[in-house]
Amino acid sequence: MCLTSTNRIIGDQVIKTATARTNWIALCKAFAIVAASVFAFSSAAQAEESGLSIVASVQNQTIDDGVATKNPVSGVSIAITTSTGSMVGEGVTDSSGTVTISVPSKDSYVVTIDVSTLPDDVTLIDESKTQATIEKDSFTTNSKRVTFFAGSSTATGAPLVDRLAQRLVDGVRLGLIIAISSVGLSLIFGTTGLTNFAHGEMVTFGGLIAFWFNVLLGVPLLIAAPLVIALGGVLGLAMNAIIFAKLRKRGIGLISQLVVSVGLSIMLRNMYLYQFGGRTRPLDDFSLQVAKRFGPVSITMRDLTTAIISLIVLVLVALYLQRSRTGKAIRAVSDNPDLASSTGIDTQKIIRIVWFAGGALAAMGGLFRGLDEQVGFEMGSRLIFLMFAGITLGGLGSAYGALIGGFFVGVLVELASLVVPAELKNAPALLILIIVLVVRPQGILGRKQRIG
Amino acid sequence: MDIIKILENTVAALFGIDAAYFALAAIGLNVQFGYTGLLNFGQAAFMACGAYGLGMTTQYFGVGLWWGILIGLVFVVILGLLVGIPTLRLRADYLAIVTIAMAEIVRLVVRSVRFKEYFGGSDGINGFSRSFRDLSPFNPAAQYGIRPFRYSGYSFWTIIVGWSLVALFSLLVFMLMKSPWGRVVKAIREDEDAVRSLGKNVYSYKMQSLIIGGAIGMFSGMIFALDRGSVQPDNYSRDVTFYILTALVLGGVAKVRGSVVGPMMFWALYVFSDNFLRELTKNQPFEVFGFGLIQKSQVGPVNYMLIGLGLMLLMTFRPQGVFGSKEEMALDGR
Repeated sequence: MCLTSTNRIIGDQVIKTATARTNWIALCKAFAIVAASVFAFSSAAQAEESGLSIVASVQNQTIDDGVATKNPVSGVSIAITTSTGSMVGEGVTDSSGTVTISVPSKDSYVVTIDVSTLPDDVTLIDESKTQATIEKDSFTTNSKRVTFFAGSSTATGAPLVDRLAQRLVDGVRLGLIIAISSVGLSLIFGTTGLTNFAHGEMVTFGGLIAFWFNVLLGVPLLIAAPLVIALGGVLGLAMNAIIFAKLRKRGIGLISQLVVSVGLSIMLRNMYLYQFGGRTRPLDDFSLQVAKRFGPVSITMRDLTTAIISLIVLVLVALYLQRSRTGKAIRAVSDNPDLASSTGIDTQKIIRIVWFAGGALAAMGGLFRGLDEQVGFEMGSRLIFLMFAGITLGGLGSAYGALIGGFFVGVLVELASLVVPAELKNAPALLILIIVLVVRPQGILGRKQRIG
Repeated sequence: MDIIKILENTVAALFGIDAAYFALAAIGLNVQFGYTGLLNFGQAAFMACGAYGLGMTTQYFGVGLWWGILIGLVFVVILGLLVGIPTLRLRADYLAIVTIAMAEIVRLVVRSVRFKEYFGGSDGINGFSRSFRDLSPFNPAAQYGIRPFRYSGYSFWTIIVGWSLVALFSLLVFMLMKSPWGRVVKAIREDEDAVRSLGKNVYSYKMQSLIIGGAIGMFSGMIFALDRGSVQPDNYSRDVTFYILTALVLGGVAKVRGSVVGPMMFWALYVFSDNFLRELTKNQPFEVFGFGLIQKSQVGPVNYMLIGLGLMLLMTFRPQGVFGSKEEMALDGR
């Protein structure tokens, strides 16, 4: 690709002429000027007069006695794409750890670092942040700077209490998303006995539909969100009506139904891959956020809002189950389907309601997760294991159990990342799963007779 | 479209190395799922035990290839105890959840940067298969067999070893299931409480079954690693277990011939579908009424979609597969 080679040459030239100690602003200007002059000759019509560039920098941060030193990391591949995914340019960082890539216009871009090109002993501080999103409005000058920090941990310099507080906040956010997503999983198990391995795909569905509305159709997210949640419910209804209601009618055993849900999960996940592709992409709205600091903790307004909404929804779900007629019927069916139907409850109707509500809540979880991280075809199936850990901890089949267990698992996973490497932070969830099954297999709120 | 070529590849896939290592894994899974009713969704982790046991011999311990089997077995037993102790007293779906979680954790650990010095990170381990190659009586440069079964010397060697292991373990499992031990595990599948009331230690039998099935799966991982000449963590993802399960259900659970013929049919169907779709989309996207349906890059996902759909349809309409019998299936929740 011609862009790559020119950029590499630019990088080398600048390093030869400017000494390594040149300060950044001068360097950026030099990059911008050289880039502009080179692109004046290029055939890319748009790039001719833009002179805009994105400077990506990779810095390895080491901390000795509380003093942070930054060392540039060279030879790392950086790619820039538009928000819809088409390639704009790519390059490799030079000995100052930076690479300048020209962009045609002031627009939204995604800067992706290729982690596999990092040196073996260097990892990103936050391994999930391999992409940075640049908004149209953030081009205040002609060049926009993006820095990827490598090193041991985000806040190694900060005192443990502060790091604990930050992790706690992140954990609460993750926990709320897991709790919302797994209510349906637990209720479906309670009312039908099905362990639904395709529930993760219901979460992904929410994220992908949100992406479809927001990015491809340009519908503002605030308008799209109710539609996303409703469609998630419809997906749940459809899964019940087309597949699982029929299986129950045919008298097919629960283990067979479980294996069918595995097949469904494989099929849906690959349908998403087929339609959406393998990359993760951000939603358009609310993607650029400035974190606000509250004491030792920083959180963006978007994340704060989604956390508060999740909390309200969870309280409403709990109240609904506790107080309303339908809620009581759901709990009755969960408890004992035969007894419930003999008291005149329409079991099939309750099951349909549960599938709808479960699908809607899962889609909502997917939407929030998509805002929090990014949207991808595997976003839900990565969570399913945490959801299972959560509902097992809370008690399989118990709705309140899913709320409490999911929340607790989210908090624990984030807190654990203080101790275990970020790439293994899901492992403690398995530990909980095993400990719970040994000590109290029915979970916190489950009843004993359901297990044996 | 080159029909002959597609058909040749399909027939070759029946006896290829992929079918062989799938068959080994399926024989193991059959001991657990088919005969004992244990829903092990982490067979990929047991395969990884074998592959990494083998890979670590020369790389880190500096011992011969045969030690790989011992190291792998140690891994299998540790893993089996770890997932078995908390779950085997409980209902089947707990085992499913824990094994799938365990398989995922195993994959994350072996590909992590933290444990790179032991497991090689995402690059995996290479260069351990030399002494296995040296055992080969065939000339690596020559071609053996007739079309479409035509292999280079080394592939021919792994295929022969792979299918010999399949034959060996088929025989072993067949005899095991005729033995008193086999009758007990089959009885556990049918009615656990009845077996318990006869004074048998159900928990212990289930654990033995889990570990025996895992150990057979371990050999599958070894054959796979030897064929590729490398161990890659992402080859042991959870979907691999599900594909093996699909192949087993296709052949028929609780039947030895089902666990061997199932994987052969699975690979033949897969290779046929893959080759067919690739031929179809080679020059331009496959279109129906001008509506682009499948592009070249989408062939992979479409294949896997078909596998998922196939598993659903099989489980719904013919859960006994080709050879199985409906009476012999542990299908109600226990």
